[in-house]
Amino acid sequence: MTITHHPATDTLASYASGSLDTARRLVVASHLERCAACRRAVGDFEAVGGAMLEDLPPAPMGEDALAQVLARLDAVAPEPAAGTMNAHADLPACLRSCTLGSWRWIGRGLKVRPIMLPQAGGTRLFLLKGAPGARLPHHVHTGEEFAAVLTGVYTHEGGRFGPGDFDEADETTEHTPVVTADAECICLIALEGRVRMTGLAGALLNPFVRI
Amino acid sequence: MTALALAPAPVFPPPAPAVVLALAHFACGLNGMDAGRTTAADYSALIGAVAGTRDRAAFGALFSHFAPRVKTFMLRAGANAAQAEELAQETLLTVWRKADRFDSGRATAAAWIFTIARNLRVDRLRREWRDAAGDGEIPEVADEAATPDIRLAGDERNARVRSAMTQLSAEQARVIELSFFQDMPHAEIARALGLPLGTVKSRIRLAMNRLRDLLEDLA
Repeated sequence: MTITHHPATDTLASYASGSLDTARRLVVASHLERCAACRRAVGDFEAVGGAMLEDLPPAPMGEDALAQVLARLDAVAPEPAAGTMNAHADLPACLRSCTLGSWRWIGRGLKVRPIMLPQAGGTRLFLLKGAPGARLPHHVHTGEEFAAVLTGVYTHEGGRFGPGDFDEADETTEHTPVVTADAECICLIALEGRVRMTGLAGALLNPFVRI
Repeated sequence: MTALALAPAPVFPPPAPAVVLALAHFACGLNGMDAGRTTAADYSALIGAVAGTRDRAAFGALFSHFAPRVKTFMLRAGANAAQAEELAQETLLTVWRKADRFDSGRATAAAWIFTIARNLRVDRLRREWRDAAGDGEIPEVADEAATPDIRLAGDERNARVRSAMTQLSAEQARVIELSFFQDMPHAEIARALGLPLGTVKSRIRLAMNRLRDLLEDLA
């Protein structure tokens, strides 16, 4: 399926420069795994990073730095031991070393599964699963939200989002995503701050729904 | 028995011609006769020699060029002198360890070493990391995911990137520099420059699109 929604250029630049927090970085990485065009863009930005690195004034290393490192070379395994992989072979490769929490019901047809990250930070990472036809209550964000669609399709005011598509929202975004009727939809979401439900159903849910 | 027969057999296979060339450039640089002549292609060849024959001389040449620059990179990201020294050493150790994953058709030597240094900076220096309640490895983004498809050969690409960068405006160059070297999210860059966040984002967007357009034009 063709990917139609990509991260903004400044988001890809932040990824390349290493200034995204871990949750956001992993959502972008899961998009990159499926999107050659964005991999090319990131590659170009990393080339810029490389050129800038070479232009930095050198800081003198310790006198015996090279000798120390040469002495350490033999102790370095040619390949690092493979990290422990979780059991979720269907997840993007970048998430295979993460620990996942349990699925938790958060509303009709909606479940979330937290992904544990070593950093506390202000941004949480989780999977959101919507049953066919599920509708998220109308909501606004208190910070940025990055979403990558893993399976299925949802639509909202900004268009139609299928596998591989990337969706960015911030404080100014108000939207009402609806999962299409034919299949469930699973997204990987990095959420900064909180989501505030609007409308009556939202007002009732707000105290209970901690997403 | 003749003296010849007693001569020890060479332990290492002779280095490939490209490596000899690169090391010759490096040696010239050291003698001050030909400083700055080592090209991107030479550094790629040095990484190839590390991967192929575990060539320590090639590694030494890479270390001498890149470690002091990575140290500056770490200092600018907020490391103290000892941390910066250690992270620069570790970056080059990672070059040794992962040399066989480097593909000169996909990235320049500098770009590849930049990504290694960047990942170490994110893992070790990041405030969110220091504040962490627990500990554990930050998931590593698969190398394959971050590499571009094959386009230009590394050295040619390097020259084009440099040529494109000289065409950015001073303001564009400034925001790009901050985002690459200060480990600042765009919101912090906006505060540091006293600009609205939207302006910083659009400036970065324009600068990066400009760079990519220039790279395409040159291709």
